[in-house]
Amino acid sequence: MALEKQEQRPAAEKGEHIVARHLIEDDSIKEEKNLVIDGVDVSGRWNTFILSRVDSEFDRSFFREIKDTVVGSRINRCWQCGMCTASCTVTPLYRRFNPRAFIYMMQLGNLKELKKYIDVAWRCVGCYKCSQRCPKQVNPAEMMEALGLVIKKYFPEEVHSKLKVDEDVKKIYDDMIIGHGRLDLAKLHTSAMQKTGRTKELLGKIERDAIFKMAKDGRAFSILRLGKPHNWSRSKEAIENYLKNLNTIENGGTGV
Amino acid sequence: MSENILVVGGGPAGLNAAVMLSELGVNVALVERDSFLGGNPKKFKYKFLFPDMQPADNVIGELIKKAEAGGGIKVYYSSEISDFKENGKKFDVTLKSADGSEKKTFDSVIVATGFEHFDPARDAKYSYQLFDDVIDIKDLERMMGENNFVRPSNGKPPKKIAFILCVGSRDRHVGNQYCSRVCCTVSVKQAIELREHFPDCEAYIFYMDIRTYGFFEDLYWQAMEEYDVQIVKGRIAEITSGPDNTVICKGEDTLLRGPFEIPFDMVVLASGMEGGPQSPEISSKLGIELDEHGFLKPENITLSPFKSNKPGIFLAGACTGPKAISDSITEGAAAAMNAYTYAVKNR
Ligand SMILES: Cc1cc2nc3c(=O)[nH]c(=O)nc-3n(C[C@H](O)[C@H](O)[C@H](O)COP(=O)(O)OP(=O)(O)OC[C@H]3O[C@@H](n4cnc5c(N)ncnc54)[C@H](O)[C@@H]3O)c2cc1C
Ligand code: SF4
Ligand code: SF4
Ligand code: SF4
Repeated sequence: MALEKQEQRPAAEKGEHIVARHLIEDDSIKEEKNLVIDGVDVSGRWNTFILSRVDSEFDRSFFREIKDTVVGSRINRCWQCGMCTASCTVTPLYRRFNPRAFIYMMQLGNLKELKKYIDVAWRCVGCYKCSQRCPKQVNPAEMMEALGLVIKKYFPEEVHSKLKVDEDVKKIYDDMIIGHGRLDLAKLHTSAMQKTGRTKELLGKIERDAIFKMAKDGRAFSILRLGKPHNWSRSKEAIENYLKNLNTIENGGTGV
Repeated sequence: MSENILVVGGGPAGLNAAVMLSELGVNVALVERDSFLGGNPKKFKYKFLFPDMQPADNVIGELIKKAEAGGGIKVYYSSEISDFKENGKKFDVTLKSADGSEKKTFDSVIVATGFEHFDPARDAKYSYQLFDDVIDIKDLERMMGENNFVRPSNGKPPKKIAFILCVGSRDRHVGNQYCSRVCCTVSVKQAIELREHFPDCEAYIFYMDIRTYGFFEDLYWQAMEEYDVQIVKGRIAEITSGPDNTVICKGEDTLLRGPFEIPFDMVVLASGMEGGPQSPEISSKLGIELDEHGFLKPENITLSPFKSNKPGIFLAGACTGPKAISDSITEGAAAAMNAYTYAVKNR
């Protein structure tokens, strides 16, 4: 069957002849303005094709590609328990940012699915809470870096058009990560309680008792001991310099 | 002259080994570090046992009665091995108790020193002992055993309870990669008991896998089909305090894709089994091998799970890894058979 494709029709009109059009995603409709099959002109409503809605393969080549990167080398360990997503700093802000689900999509090479999340996929703030919790030591924080690499490689145009700096994330990043080298859990906790209108509980009996018990059995000190990463002042300086340069470039209009 | 065999540990495995040996006419010394027999089931007052919910007394009480009936068994309560030496094919052992020390020679030895419950306070994310209403499955067994099945914080019946599986098991951070085998079944069993006791109380089980292997699966089906226990797929990453004296479980519903923070008025952690401090202690005292999980290592895990690497020293029960009471009792009998054969051969 010889298919002579011509000029793609604009997406807005895509699939206008399909009954229950709302059930089908744009990406699943293939349609040409003028199409000739085996010499017969099938322009008009006959050239609308709907791709199968059933996935017909797991693409392991993609999995191997990720596994070969330094940051993605532990992709084979993940068993989808969800502890990373549950402890993630960003997920409560962006429910669609889901480290566990992203890792699964990468494991199965489901780029079609990953593509839907380009706008949020890069939002990891690198707090490493997920890696601290992950029972398999997948190091999901670094898997998010692998994700970034993948997206940049396979969807360069979408990345360019969809990424915008977000004020919420930027603030968390500036205040905590740059300031302390890690997220300040006490501060996060306090602000979460404030946001949900539960400030009173901060000094309630349960919280006080918990603090007392944690001080007594040493857990509080092990948390305090986390401290800043070793020699953080130098890393901090480097990051600040980098950001300054970045701003200069952005303001100069050259883009990154 | 009859054989002398030493059994270390008076839990289900050690008890059954001792009882079997005494039926063969052997003189058994049963050494137990606690002041009572029955092991963990007795210590934590297990009331009804999986898989068939029979009263624990049917099993544990029965074994204790036989062991304490005299016969060929001499029980050393609150005792331990203070000295252990090989003497040819036999063993010279000093047993120490409050009454003093006693030196004896044994033809063979059975180690049945069992397991310890994982202490959930070691994994800070679960806030165990920080909030009164966060307990674990052994605490709940004991509460039910003492007919004191209420919220620890206020003495009232719970209205909404969460079970969290795999606490202290299958987690590289706590150092235990293995599955503790019984905690899934214990949890569904307890959920059933809870719903029977408090029909108004909702029960949820947070799981990654539910491993009610073999016939234990019946309880899992029963929990869902007869008791409306709801399962939610996702491991809990954090427990915090919530409003109105609740505790909040933070996790991800991995099927719906999305984080949740749900308040419960009671949380039960399915803490797993560990080799405990006794396993390395016994290992170095008797010169037998320890495995990479912190339990005692059988000579061949498939061919001879009841033998240690040292001739004449046999293993039974949860000291070689997590297992149910029926397996522990079976291994007690297997170790008894082997210890007896060894003793007779080297008489
Ligand atoms: C919460 C919970 C509920 C459970 N419920 C069930 C159930 O319903 N049904 C079921 O089939 N299984 C159940 N199990 C599993 C069951 O508890 C074990 O299979 C069983 O206790 C193992 O028996 P054991 O004799 O090997 O060890 P243990 O019961 O641990 O007994 C070991 C004994 O050895 C003694 N000991 C240890 N070290 C020394 C030493 N150095 N010197 C002298 N003595 C020593 C200990 O004091 C103890 O008395 C449950 C487990 C848990 C965690
Ligand atoms: S490191 Fe990234 S993915 Fe991990 S918890 Fe922090 S923000 Fe979430
Ligand atoms: S916590 Fe680890 S194992 Fe669990 S889903 Fe996340 S990356 Fe996978
Ligand atoms: S038996 Fe169930 S709860 Fe226990 S470790 Fe295994 S999977 Fe987890």
